[in-house]
Amino acid sequence: MKRLLRILLLPCALVLLMGADNQEARFQNLGGKIMCTCSCDQMLLKCNHVGCPNSDRMRKELHAAVQNISSDDEVLNWFRKNWGVTAVVEPSRHGFELLAWILPVAGLGLGLLLVIFIVRSWKLRTAPVAQADAVLDPHLESLRARAQRETEI
Amino acid sequence: MPLLGSFCLTFALALAAYSFVVGIIAAVRKDAVGFRLAETARRAGMASFIAILFSAGALVYAAMTNDFSVAYVKEHSNRALPAAYKFAALWSGQEGSVLFWCLLLSAYGFVLRLRHKVDQRLTAMASVILAGIQVFFLILVNFEARPFGILPAAAADGNGLNPLLQYPEMVIHPPLLYLGYVGLAVPFAFGLAALIMRYPGEMWIQITRRWTMVAWLFLSIGVALGGHWAYNVLGWGGYWGWDPVENASLLPWLSTTAFLHSVMMQEKRGMMKVWNAWLVFLGFMLSILGTMLTRSGMVNSVHAFAQSNIGRWFAGDYGWTGTPWHSLPYAYPGFLEVIFGVCLWFYIKNKDHLKSENKLESLVSRESSFLFNNLVLLGACFAVLCGTLFPILSEWVRGYKITVGAPFFNTIMVPIGLFLVFLTAVGPLLAWRSTSFGSVWRAFAIPALISLAVEVILIVVWTRNGIKFWRDISQIYALLAFCLSTLVITTIASEFIRGGRVLKKKLNTNLVFAMYHLTRRNMRRYGGYVVHFGIVVLIIGVAGLAFNQEQEQEMAVGDKLQIGHYTLVGQEYTQDDNANYGSDAALLDVYKNGKFITRLNPERRVYKANGGQPNTIPAKWSTLREDLYVIYAGLNPDTGHPIIKAFVNPLVNWVWIGVLIVAFGTGMALVPNTAQISVKVPQAVTVAAAIEKQSMQPAGVGK
Repeated sequence: MKRLLRILLLPCALVLLMGADNQEARFQNLGGKIMCTCSCDQMLLKCNHVGCPNSDRMRKELHAAVQNISSDDEVLNWFRKNWGVTAVVEPSRHGFELLAWILPVAGLGLGLLLVIFIVRSWKLRTAPVAQADAVLDPHLESLRARAQRETEI
Repeated sequence: MPLLGSFCLTFALALAAYSFVVGIIAAVRKDAVGFRLAETARRAGMASFIAILFSAGALVYAAMTNDFSVAYVKEHSNRALPAAYKFAALWSGQEGSVLFWCLLLSAYGFVLRLRHKVDQRLTAMASVILAGIQVFFLILVNFEARPFGILPAAAADGNGLNPLLQYPEMVIHPPLLYLGYVGLAVPFAFGLAALIMRYPGEMWIQITRRWTMVAWLFLSIGVALGGHWAYNVLGWGGYWGWDPVENASLLPWLSTTAFLHSVMMQEKRGMMKVWNAWLVFLGFMLSILGTMLTRSGMVNSVHAFAQSNIGRWFAGDYGWTGTPWHSLPYAYPGFLEVIFGVCLWFYIKNKDHLKSENKLESLVSRESSFLFNNLVLLGACFAVLCGTLFPILSEWVRGYKITVGAPFFNTIMVPIGLFLVFLTAVGPLLAWRSTSFGSVWRAFAIPALISLAVEVILIVVWTRNGIKFWRDISQIYALLAFCLSTLVITTIASEFIRGGRVLKKKLNTNLVFAMYHLTRRNMRRYGGYVVHFGIVVLIIGVAGLAFNQEQEQEMAVGDKLQIGHYTLVGQEYTQDDNANYGSDAALLDVYKNGKFITRLNPERRVYKANGGQPNTIPAKWSTLREDLYVIYAGLNPDTGHPIIKAFVNPLVNWVWIGVLIVAFGTGMALVPNTAQISVKVPQAVTVAAAIEKQSMQPAGVGK
């Protein structure tokens, strides 16, 4: 019976330990997204400003928020509401600030489209063909040969 | 002396304006008179350097001799400041830094004009464009950011230099960074000159590539030194915080890196001419943008200068004037808009000159790898630009500035960076024109297997040491980074070995000597591989960030702080006072696994001349494996005990070693080849076909 109880308790203990670990990881993760508001320009968990009027209080509030609020977004919103929008260094994923997340992805997407367009236009283009007896520009040739030498074995 | 400095600046403006206007007249005339005028314009441009040098010398002299009648010296120096930092005061404030910009720009112009015989026509036009840029900066330094403003009465002492700047690296970091920023003006000038003149051939690319590499090298070292300074001075345990000013230096670096890759397409296949021209323009515009962001106060940063009106000179001034009932719009374009307008105008006018000479034959080719490389580098550049400027956009749209910090940039940039590392591994294995999948696989199989083996070993070792990497995205990224870095290193090694084997047979020598000869025969290519190697060493160092540990504790004498394998024991706490600053310091004995290894002395200084601004001086025990980084955070006001903060930062030295390798590789690529292999071009074929024939090679042989 004792053995069975131990076997049953072990996964529970592991889950609890993982939970504790998760809470700490959440605290660290969220602390890395919040800035100390004492104008020291440091992240909350990096603020080494002794006698800082805000960081201790903010850290305690973050600990409490991590315990009581399950969603990370809500924790960050709580800090935005109580400490100002500049306290959180990650743009929100709602409203106007969502644009900050969309723009880089959209930029890359547009760039990819541009590359596809360039590749397509290159593939469709016919290479300029010179006459078989055409005289090559010696200056241009020497430059090409130099480029060739400098980029080949 | 200040009067002489001020006069020299005005004189330099007149000389630069002469060089600009007369240079344009000379370019238009194209006759014997025009030729003589061009020569006077060239000499005026060179003389402007001498005038600005005198002016900068006058400011340094004023700082060295404690001339506190000069407002700038009073703001940025004081009597107790050590001489090296008095010299550094030249670039530590707004006005001085703009003067320093002018000095470096004119110095580059001096060298360019001195070497005009490389290509007289092209250099003359490039010199005119540089003179135009000089005129802008000299107007700025003569009318808006004047370094020689005189106070009504000389002050007894100055306000002193910002304590964060009182660090030996700060004497060399800004000049190197500025050399990078300003250096991009030279390729810009050549690129625009070639476009304006419809200059035939790839001469401008040949000239520009070396100038760009030099600027890129300075920029790389400057950015790295900035990181090193932040690590050693700011005392938060890291070296890169995605601060707007740090980002501003990264933007031109990324676009210039893209150019250094895509330029090979133009040299080898006559492709991407439009792209290259705009990359050169973009690199310079981004360096101007960076200069503006640092100096205008538009973004909040620990590195930025004070809020000033200088921004409108760069970005322009737009708005409405008059009463709400009778208002009129006004628009004064800034320097950035003018540059963009000029580039766009000449591009539209002469775009037929930039037509590609060849077509893409296969998606699996070196050409397409360069395209993707450019896409990713410019995508990264755009993402950094978005994140940096988004606070300004949010202020315009919403009325308040949001903060965009490290979490945003890490989320966006880490996957982009990893993909770039993957391309760095694959790119060199692809041949020009076309490569079959089979030959790519043959070249790729061994590196891929080695990197997979490294990944498996890392997973096993980490799991045995209790590292649950699957629960932390940064550690998963680190695993990928190690794996991809191994892939790059093995592909680079295989390139050297493959080429070495070919030469070994030809020269009948051993492999090491053959590889040395291989490198000397093509310094540019193998220098490039060394740069790639340096970049992956740097990335391995950055990946170490995922395993950082930190611990903070109040420590009385005899107290112990445990972090990782290290135990810190408080031995003594001291106080000191000198004319420049007062300091509190701790003496801590460090034990690793119970064995004494060193004694660390972290310090906290309070500088007297800056209103008692505190500054931490971290102490480090640095090895190739990790840094033990200790900060004296201050005294607990309640108990009177010092607070010590310790970090264990793995692999940090790899970052600095990586930068050194990058610098070495760039230096290699700048050195001319010793022996050259003759290339026979049959007479009766097309240019493209001749080049392509030479380029045809099996996959894995490389460029």
